[in-house]
Amino acid sequence: MSPKFSFMMTTVALGAMLAGGWLAALDRETGSRAMLLPDRVMTVFPDPKPLTAFALTDQQNRVFDVSRLKGKWSFLFFGYTHCPDVCPTTLAELARARDNIARITAGAEDIEFVFISVDPNRDTAGKLGQYVAYFHPAFLGVTGNDAQIGNLAGQLGAAYQVAFTPGMEIYPVYHTTAVFLVDPRARYHAIFTPPLDAETISRRFKVLRELEGAKAT
Amino acid sequence: MRWRRPVLVGLILALTLISAARGEAGVSVDDAWVRESPPGVAMMAAYMALRNNTPRPQVLVAASSSGFEAVMIHRTIVKDGMAGMAHTPQIELAPNARLIFAPGGYHLMLINPKQTLRAGDPVVINLEFRSGLVLPVAFEVRK
Repeated sequence: MSPKFSFMMTTVALGAMLAGGWLAALDRETGSRAMLLPDRVMTVFPDPKPLTAFALTDQQNRVFDVSRLKGKWSFLFFGYTHCPDVCPTTLAELARARDNIARITAGAEDIEFVFISVDPNRDTAGKLGQYVAYFHPAFLGVTGNDAQIGNLAGQLGAAYQVAFTPGMEIYPVYHTTAVFLVDPRARYHAIFTPPLDAETISRRFKVLRELEGAKAT
Repeated sequence: MRWRRPVLVGLILALTLISAARGEAGVSVDDAWVRESPPGVAMMAAYMALRNNTPRPQVLVAASSSGFEAVMIHRTIVKDGMAGMAHTPQIELAPNARLIFAPGGYHLMLINPKQTLRAGDPVVINLEFRSGLVLPVAFEVRK
């Protein structure tokens, strides 16, 4: 194995978590007048896990750490800019979801969308900025070194694998297709799994935010 | 009513000839489009619905375009919760079969576009079959 081979696999608990989240959503539904029927798109976790310290860098070379997640809902998606199919499809859908949320709720001040590149060899801050801005001017693009990306990915159970080969322009990158939702207390709160569509994401998120808002007061 | 049959036969013959002429290639393509991408990207994707109108299998072996450094037949695969791409050296289309290239599945990976493409721009991609057939297809860039 001559090429540097970075590998992350922390999906072990995902199945169990999905099942747990499904039940939790059921439970919440019965305990609340608001509707949060479980479906295959969004899974809400019964006991959202607080994220611990991590450090990445955004497209303007600012530190993107756990404090940047606080006070807003964050939608996180892992990918890379050399991705011709899944990433543009997902980001276009998320851009529409963001516009929907801004329209159907009080606004979009307390939401952010973060594209996390798992391919820092090719995705510089400048490239990332240009890439995410195309989909939505408010989108953030962040990345870091392998350990830094692995830290956050590990906390979310986000699998990725980069078969980086020095000197090769094209090398395989594998990444989870899920979108992770972190709540304003920087807790991993829910996961969206494909097929992702903007209407479902925005509708489900609106209900979740209403439920959580009501609980906080 | 005696005239009806020859007319009908003539009509069928004419239609057969027309379709034979148009489908000389034997393969047709619908809904061919390329996803508009952020400026400066190295990789883009093209999608289409491919149909084999012949009674013989047709094997897509390559694609090329003057607008890109290279074009490859790819398929997005999801394994262990991760999406990746698999290079597909060839795709066999059974007689009268239809194959959809769509987001999340088969696509033509367009490597290093020579210029930034905007919605509405035309892109010609040549589909190459094992039989020697080369089918130039007009794709439309869409947002």
